[in-house]
Amino acid sequence: MGKGGQADEAGAERAAMPGGSALLAVAALPATGALSLARRAARRTRRAVADAASETATATVDAVLESRTAEQLLGKVIGSPLVERTLSRALEGPLVEALSRDMVRHAVLERVAETILTGDALEAVLERAEAAEVPRRIADRVLADGIVEQTVARVLESAELERAVAAALDSPATERLMVRVMESRLLDETVDRLLDSEELWLLVQEIADSPAVTDAIGRQGIGFADQVAGGVRARSRRADAWLERAARRALRRKPLGELPPGPPPDPS
Amino acid sequence: MSRSPVPARLQTQPSAPATTQVYEGLVTRGIAFAVDAALINLAALIVSVSVGLALSVLDPSNNLETAALAVAGVAYVVWTIAYFVTFWSTTGQTPGNRLLQIRVCRARDGEALRPRKSLLRLGAMVLCALPLFAGFLPILVNSRRRGLHDMIAGSVVVSAPVEAR
Repeated sequence: MGKGGQADEAGAERAAMPGGSALLAVAALPATGALSLARRAARRTRRAVADAASETATATVDAVLESRTAEQLLGKVIGSPLVERTLSRALEGPLVEALSRDMVRHAVLERVAETILTGDALEAVLERAEAAEVPRRIADRVLADGIVEQTVARVLESAELERAVAAALDSPATERLMVRVMESRLLDETVDRLLDSEELWLLVQEIADSPAVTDAIGRQGIGFADQVAGGVRARSRRADAWLERAARRALRRKPLGELPPGPPPDPS
Repeated sequence: MSRSPVPARLQTQPSAPATTQVYEGLVTRGIAFAVDAALINLAALIVSVSVGLALSVLDPSNNLETAALAVAGVAYVVWTIAYFVTFWSTTGQTPGNRLLQIRVCRARDGEALRPRKSLLRLGAMVLCALPLFAGFLPILVNSRRRGLHDMIAGSVVVSAPVEAR
């Protein structure tokens, strides 16, 4: 502060005094100036001490952080059971819930996600992942570990899939979709291409030659023969009854009522 | 001790299941016989055609042809006899009988005929056919639907439905 400032301060003190004590104020002017100087010196000293202490503390912290001893101490502290117990207690206690509530209240996750999504960080991470062939490696690992098979088996065995399929099949949207597919030209073209393809006929040949199909056809043939034979049996027995009635009428014999029971079945 | 009017083996056993067998009539048996005749002749035809083709290539003399015809005739008769006797004596069902689900069995106990009785039945069938098939007419009026050949051989023809698989 300059001399102008000091004169203003003294003038202000004089103005603040009552009119009768102006002489006393003039007499105390040197003391007042000395007091003011002392105050300024004290402030400068405190500031210098504070700056020096700050610099010293910073230097000390830097020295501590760079020292091997501090690193060893930190390692010991981190590796000590005390830290482990402290962390366990902290995790078991209400701290986690309180942190979670605060994170939700202050929308920490949303802010972090917003920052990541709007910035270039995500793009950079994706590019680096792509450059490192991370997707291919993940796919290889998934395929090698049989995760796909396990997942497919789990899905196929689950009742949820059946419910989902049933719901999808029962829905009117599926019906409309099927109608549109059936009426589309795409289906006709697909069928035409299928019929023209040689692979289809090879597949048909394979299926027709399979033992299951030949067995089924054989069973069908036997079933048809049984059906025909059954028809012949029924008609022949009706013809028997008619012929016998006619013969008995011609011979003027009483119609045969219930036939006597036959012999017991063949023991073999 | 008076003799029971029903043979012992035909008496119903209390624990035995009730029989549902019935005697089969002329038409059903005739169809079964026609199927058997078709099978016999089909087999004979295949064999005779094969042998005839072989002989046509070998070009035998007339005497050999005559002998082959005689052998073929005898073989046909033997084959026919063997066909019926074998089936009647074993399962009681020829293929034609099986198709029509009927069975030839002994009248007294329901078992299959002995070979001698089967042979007798076949011979009696031939005799029944000689007088314009008159020997089969008793089937129409007999209470057990037995023809003359059945009476001679002591046989009956009953239904034999195949059990459901």
